Amino acid sequence: MSSVDLRIPLGLGEKLLDHVFQTGTHECVAFGLVSHAQLRRRPTLLLRKIVVLREEDYLPTRAHGATWRGAAMFPLMGDAVDDNLGILVIHAHDHEGPPRLSGDDLASAARLIPMFRNRVPSRPHGTVVVSRTHATGRIWLPDRTQPSDLGEVRWFGSAITDWTPATAISGENCSAFVRQSLVVGGQGQGWINRAKVAVVGLGGGGSHVVQQLTYLGIGEIVAIDSDTFEETNHHRVVGAGGKDLGRRKVDIMYRLVRQINLHGRLRRIHARIPNAVAVSAVRDCDIIVGCVDTLFTRSDLQELASRYLIPYVDVGVSIRPVETNNVTDRRVSISGNIVTFIPGGFCMWCSGFITDEKLKAEQQGPTRGYFEKNNDEAQVVSLNGVVSSQAVTEVLQLLTGFGGASVRTADTRVPGADVQRGYKKFDGVSGTLQEWGATRRKDCNHCRETLAAGDLIFRKPSA
Amino acid sequence: MTAQNIDRIVAELIAAYRDGISVAAEGPRRLIRIAEVELYPTCQPPQTSLLLVLDVDQPKPQVFVKPGQLLANGRVPKNSSNVLVGGETWMQFSFNIPWAENQDIIRFVAAARQRFAQNE
Repeated sequence: MSSVDLRIPLGLGEKLLDHVFQTGTHECVAFGLVSHAQLRRRPTLLLRKIVVLREEDYLPTRAHGATWRGAAMFPLMGDAVDDNLGILVIHAHDHEGPPRLSGDDLASAARLIPMFRNRVPSRPHGTVVVSRTHATGRIWLPDRTQPSDLGEVRWFGSAITDWTPATAISGENCSAFVRQSLVVGGQGQGWINRAKVAVVGLGGGGSHVVQQLTYLGIGEIVAIDSDTFEETNHHRVVGAGGKDLGRRKVDIMYRLVRQINLHGRLRRIHARIPNAVAVSAVRDCDIIVGCVDTLFTRSDLQELASRYLIPYVDVGVSIRPVETNNVTDRRVSISGNIVTFIPGGFCMWCSGFITDEKLKAEQQGPTRGYFEKNNDEAQVVSLNGVVSSQAVTEVLQLLTGFGGASVRTADTRVPGADVQRGYKKFDGVSGTLQEWGATRRKDCNHCRETLAAGDLIFRKPSA
Repeated sequence: MTAQNIDRIVAELIAAYRDGISVAAEGPRRLIRIAEVELYPTCQPPQTSLLLVLDVDQPKPQVFVKPGQLLANGRVPKNSSNVLVGGETWMQFSFNIPWAENQDIIRFVAAARQRFAQNE
């Protein structure tokens, strides 16, 4: 039976670890409310909420572990039923290395899990113990009688941190990456080599991204674009030549990856988001890079990223004339963005990058002309290259944590400012790339409804 | 739509489609999937799944069918596009029916189905 993975968004991981590693007279228990989805061909739990017991809810005990008043769980069970979420009972063993569920843990699960399954039969429930470096657990999936083992636990913070049952991940034994490994380490190269990254949009931005991800040694690139190569693309699509007119962009990128001939491979999806095949492929990726031209597509990618807890790096450049009354004035403004969504952090709705008004305006008017589609918009290969390179560096940071890997919210902040890193602005005229940052909004409807929502669960109505 | 009318609409759909219906909730939205509805016989395919989204912030239900649905004349419906709904891909399309939330939902669904008998 396959194992079950768990993903934990920024903020909740910190809250969970702080609570369960408290020292005192008893073990501290946290309850995780989870949705689920099938991702990377494995059932995956998506943590939506952490509920902790109050100190007065614990009962004094001379035994090892913790006991608590049953009534203390009523609000938790109410939340689980109302939001149709599964329940994980989580506690800690304070050491490094793989922890083990004790006989008491399993006896406790045997009492609680049937009750949880009775209340919310369509979601998984389970018991999990964490150490400082690993996690072990038993998860009861809906409609299964026997529990599955907990597999990989993925934490989101300044980087992706995976706790895997395997003891070590090593990099591709390839001398081509030796000098890169000096930066990211052998294990970091291992994370790169096994990563699957979606690149959506293969024009002036996406082609740079595909090329650089290939040189990094990314295990699999899922390239998504429904367009063919046109003459007006020729000055900016990396890897394309004059003989490629009319060729599908995904095929040009496939050839590019084969020519580079390093570790990775490229999967071609000749479609556009939200085509069902493209959506299914994006769901299975570790990171999404969006190099698209419309806010609608960005909105769809943001929804997938939020719903299934997938980091999403979005890039775009806009070149416009400076408006003056002097017709001989040929100055332009060149602005670009690199927005990195870390699940649990600010989203494109929180930052105001996407709003209902902007989507409505786009529906009723011309596209904003990022990279593609609007042929009147200026495009320059070097400017696309700057933001695309930064997007690839964001991917590198997420996979290897070369600039630090922490689940602490404080470690994701811009130094000296109360904003989270991840919203960079590029000024092509001055040649500067500056971190602006943004903040997750507590009243963001998108985050409230979509973050870690997982798959919709349709049920037959009761008679 | 009011929450009471949404409950009534769901009950009407259950009564009409019985085992062919399944229901999900997400935030303030109720999503009702009808496993199979009949379209005009020459539509391709002539049956489809239909999704209704009922939202307290919207005056009417939103209606979607499975992507790739073609009209009776084999063409793609005008003003249709694929959209994400609850993480799944569905096809949205435009149709007009004078309808208020206190009226019969079955007539509304019939108008949505009838849209595919038109040749544009």
